[in-house]
Amino acid sequence: MNHIPMRMNAPSLRPQKLTRRAMAKQQTREKVLQAAREMFIERGYEGATIRDIARAAGMSTGAVFASFTDKPELFDAILSEDFAALFDPMRDAAATAPTAREALVAMFSAAYRAHTAQLPLIQAALAASWTRTPEAEQLRRESLRPLRALVMEVLERGVERGELTRRFDLRLVSDVLWDLYLAGYRPAAFEGLSVEIQTDRLADRIDLVLAGVTA
Amino acid sequence: MAGVRETQKQSTRRKVLEAARDLFNEIGYDETTIRAIAERAGVSVGSVFTTFASKADVLSQVMDDRVDALYSELDRVARHLRGSVVDRVSSVFAIHYDFECRRVKLFLAHVAASFSPTLEPSTIPFGRNARFKGMLVEMIRDGVSRGEVRQDCDHDLVLDTLMAAYAWNYRLAAQKGADAAHMTALMERQVALIFDGLRP
Repeated sequence: MNHIPMRMNAPSLRPQKLTRRAMAKQQTREKVLQAAREMFIERGYEGATIRDIARAAGMSTGAVFASFTDKPELFDAILSEDFAALFDPMRDAAATAPTAREALVAMFSAAYRAHTAQLPLIQAALAASWTRTPEAEQLRRESLRPLRALVMEVLERGVERGELTRRFDLRLVSDVLWDLYLAGYRPAAFEGLSVEIQTDRLADRIDLVLAGVTA
Repeated sequence: MAGVRETQKQSTRRKVLEAARDLFNEIGYDETTIRAIAERAGVSVGSVFTTFASKADVLSQVMDDRVDALYSELDRVARHLRGSVVDRVSSVFAIHYDFECRRVKLFLAHVAASFSPTLEPSTIPFGRNARFKGMLVEMIRDGVSRGEVRQDCDHDLVLDTLMAAYAWNYRLAAQKGADAAHMTALMERQVALIFDGLRP
């Protein structure tokens, strides 16, 4: 698998030298993102208005709209950042694991760990994901693509090593695992589970699903 | 006197639930206000709040009332289901997809609300339906006794995994407008995968 990870906000993509104007714009954008993150965590996606976000950032609503067209775009920018930040920890966790099963448990555990502080935001994102427009969700899916590819790679490697078979379509297996990982955020949010318990719960589910493709 | 008042209260409750069910499905849960529900139901905003704690509570009650129809249908059908545990479990999910896809936006709102940080104590979020769970556990037990499923299988774990797969398949409806047949076909493959690992 020659998967080349898509890196978001990779430093090399940024212009080497910013003009003063561009720098001010960048600063505004970051200030808005920071304020929006706090507002979404505090009030949820529906509850946080652009007006609240502007006030928290200490600027006018017009200034917010200069950086982002609307609330969905702002929300997506934050989530994309958070999910892009999962790529390295997930890949590293998978790299050192001896088996496919352990790689999956380790990478999802790394994701849960990285998201602990952002749990309310993830919760808001998951709640919103059922009722947003297909276009907005398409964008969000794009930002998850590199992570989902990691899961698929682990399964492919498991087959190459003879641990797993293709008795079932690996895409099906990978999709179910991903959904179970996401589903794990709900009990985490409502029952305040620790990362360890979250991981153990998911590990049981991973075992159940992998049993169907174990060699 | 008390009887009249009780009848009136029930009638308000029914009107509100019907109006809410239609509005949630037509324009979406977030876009629907209590005021709009009251208007469509032909009752006052105040009377909505004397019967329900919040909009989330209204949604929860709408869903609760709705499943009565679904489960009387399922109770009737379940006894006649034949075939392997995979076939029967898949059929139960197929009936759910058919039913929920008649008002799919309403159902998506219900799943979305189950993630809401501001869940009322009176609200029953998606995934707590005891009848649905009971029916599936029954089928898993039956699978064990017929030698299709391992003795030591953890019922709760299997149940929870099936329910998560079932619910998450609705993302296809949310994102791509997939219909009941599409989700049913996917669920059948997922059920087969899960039970394959549970063979004795």
